[in-house]
Amino acid sequence: MAYTRAKIADLVDGKIDHDTLHQMLSTPKDPERFATYIEILQDRVPWDDRIVLPLGPKLYIVQLKTSKQWMIRCECGHDFCGWRENWKLHARIHVRDTPEKLEQIYPRLMAPTSTWQVLREYYCPECGTLHDVEAPTPWYPVIRDFEPDIDTFYKDWLGLQVPERAEAA
Amino acid sequence: MNIHTPTERSVQVLGIDAGGTMTDTFFVDSDGDFVVGKAQSTPQNEALGLIASSEDGLGAWGLSLDAALKQLQTGVYSGTAMLNRVVQRKGLRCGLIVNRGMEDFHRMGRAIQAYLGYAYEDRIHLNTHRYDPPLVPRNLTRGVIERVDMSGTVVIPLREETAREAARELIAADVEGIVISLLHSYKNPDHERRVRDIVTEEIAESGKSIPVFASADYYPVRKETHRTNTTILEGYAAEPSRQTLKKISDAFKEHGTKFDFRVMATHGGTISWKAKELARTIVSGPIGGVIGAKYLGEVLGYNNIACSDIGGTSFDVALITQGELTIKNDPDMARLVLSLPLVAMDSVGAGAGSFIRLDPYTKAIKLGPDSAGYRVGVCWKESGIETVTISDCHMVLGYLNPDNFLGGAVKLDRQRSVDAIKVQLADPLGLSVEDAAAGVIELLDSDLRDYLRSMISGKGYSPQSFVCFSYGGAGPVHTYGYTEGLGFEDVIVPAWAAGFSAFGCAAADFEYRYDKSLDINLAPDAPAAQREAAAKTLQAAWEELTRNVLEEFKLNGYEPEQVTLTPGYRMQYRGQLNDLEIESPLGNAGTADDWEQLQDAFNATYGRVYAASARSPELGYSVTGAIMRGAVPIPKPKIPKEPLEGETPPEDAKTGTRKFYRKKRWVDAQLYRMEALRPGNRVTGPAIIESDATTFVVPDGFETFLDGHRLFHLREV
Repeated sequence: MAYTRAKIADLVDGKIDHDTLHQMLSTPKDPERFATYIEILQDRVPWDDRIVLPLGPKLYIVQLKTSKQWMIRCECGHDFCGWRENWKLHARIHVRDTPEKLEQIYPRLMAPTSTWQVLREYYCPECGTLHDVEAPTPWYPVIRDFEPDIDTFYKDWLGLQVPERAEAA
Repeated sequence: MNIHTPTERSVQVLGIDAGGTMTDTFFVDSDGDFVVGKAQSTPQNEALGLIASSEDGLGAWGLSLDAALKQLQTGVYSGTAMLNRVVQRKGLRCGLIVNRGMEDFHRMGRAIQAYLGYAYEDRIHLNTHRYDPPLVPRNLTRGVIERVDMSGTVVIPLREETAREAARELIAADVEGIVISLLHSYKNPDHERRVRDIVTEEIAESGKSIPVFASADYYPVRKETHRTNTTILEGYAAEPSRQTLKKISDAFKEHGTKFDFRVMATHGGTISWKAKELARTIVSGPIGGVIGAKYLGEVLGYNNIACSDIGGTSFDVALITQGELTIKNDPDMARLVLSLPLVAMDSVGAGAGSFIRLDPYTKAIKLGPDSAGYRVGVCWKESGIETVTISDCHMVLGYLNPDNFLGGAVKLDRQRSVDAIKVQLADPLGLSVEDAAAGVIELLDSDLRDYLRSMISGKGYSPQSFVCFSYGGAGPVHTYGYTEGLGFEDVIVPAWAAGFSAFGCAAADFEYRYDKSLDINLAPDAPAAQREAAAKTLQAAWEELTRNVLEEFKLNGYEPEQVTLTPGYRMQYRGQLNDLEIESPLGNAGTADDWEQLQDAFNATYGRVYAASARSPELGYSVTGAIMRGAVPIPKPKIPKEPLEGETPPEDAKTGTRKFYRKKRWVDAQLYRMEALRPGNRVTGPAIIESDATTFVVPDGFETFLDGHRLFHLREV
């Protein structure tokens, strides 16, 4: 069964009632879902480079229209880096590693002890969108969240052609 | 049954089962004859479906509604009105008073409430978990300062001004009920009752009329969330349901009845719609069948019964062992954990209306868990259903008569089923339509059979020592399928299977039950003084509960001397996790010797339920709860007893043949009219025995015998 485009748009917006949502979650995904979903996202972004894969609510892997290179891009249009890199290394990072900085967002005694755990916030340098937060031990390297195998996903899971890709020089 | 001549008939008892799909009525006359009426449920105004169903049933006796209702002595209702109100969160606006600092516990709920009622796949699929909005929102919750510890000792005295303040604020917020639930009030109710009195005073002062519900007065049992949820239900859902029940009662009174309807309650007895504890009627339908099976078992001498019921939406199984029901004390309903004694029953979401879908990736057939309910399936054009259901498979395979569904009230179209199954199942699977449909039915049968087997063996029994009762509108269609090869002692299909739940309601006692948590712990070598004290503690609890029970009967105009009281208790070996409910061998307890007798009764039951060698008296004993049940006599349906006639069914019972598909071949199944079969008749498969409200399938390799009580016995040959 395929859902209408409007239904998937509501899903993206979180406007679906619990019972319908539960049913959508519990029944097998309709085969056209990914294409519809990407179409909706594509309509909503202010640029027209093709979205290859969404990485977060406002973060995408896109195919540059002209060069066919794949980049990691913020919704605002800022390109962090090539798709194989860790975009976090190109973000603005705010580290909460003192009690004062942690207590800006948590009541006293309800925040982690900063010598054991810190919060690292990753922002877009252009629009200031907070894309991700990590809560590691202070010395831990920047975490690489996700290395999607896009070729397999497109070819074997979705049965779609992989969008053209020019590797960065 | 339905074939008697309409002579001097006096209709005595009415049982009603207003299910999600069908509304069944069950009328019993003074000779114990009965008739079943069926109509589709009318959730908007239940009275409509009830009246239609009654007319259907009485029509078979050639009686008019008004004439019959005038003669009725009593009527019992069971239905889903209150449950729906809670599920849809459409209750009254209630305020909640708890301990200060604990105001969020109701809103947070127990974690299990995030996935209660889910199929197993969803339970382990975390994304589907969610918390429902609380019955009482946080802004209508107030805290009072006090604290009683788990032993009942006052740790912080009640600051009365905080109770007053809480009451005034809630009254000003225009709540329609105020619920009070303080920590450990089941152990020491003093503070909670004082808060209740303060709230009552403040309400009186405000000039408003707002009901007050203190948990200690209603459900003085352990577990805060359970107790609070249940007490809130009294204010939130039971009060409006009282109005619904009153409407139904009034609708029948307009047609001439002269009694107040009783309602089936979770503990298996019936109570008045005027009852103080009405929340315990939240679920009642499926219990009716279990009570009916127990009653039938008592009269006919079946001790161990496996009750199985297939309706439109679910398959329910309950076990009666040694003539006793199992009572579960903390059931869940409408995604809430509750403190109600509930007749234990297990359900899977597979019924005649269950949707069938193919997994688009694996092509595996998936049954349910959602269902078309009263809308049957694709075969009913007017239903608007597009996904095929189990009923559509029945249609294709010749199990059901398209022209006689509900006695022809709903016309079904076999071709619609064939077309839909072809597109949705057969073509994607590369099968013929009948093989696809037969595959679905086989899958359903084996699912149900495995479920039934695991349920019985999981409790330490073997099917050989059980008689299986099969009822519900769709039960007899599948009886052969889910009992085949299990080796039940006997398999019984009552001729009134479709109205069996309603029959059970009519057969239930007029009984109130109150429970209270206790913490009595005795070492195996406890001195006599401790045993005496324990007996006295239990006795005090019984006396408190007796007052509650008698008060309920007083509301219905019964004097204490008319009430038969049955005390009970829940006991376990110290340190074990599960207790057993024991009917007390004594009416009163007060001495060390009495305590010994209570222990002995527990040991005997334990040996029977588990094994004699598993008894562990060396651990000592705990009593976790006191129970008081009170009953008054009411008229009940008699079980028919007719002399046996010949084995050959009369010719006029035969109504033709129908193509019937099973095990890869079409056969001509002989059709019989259920009402025309005579006691003693033997029917060999392939045969289909039809009545207006149910269809009993006897495939080849099976035969059935109709006994003098109008029970069909099904066996493999």
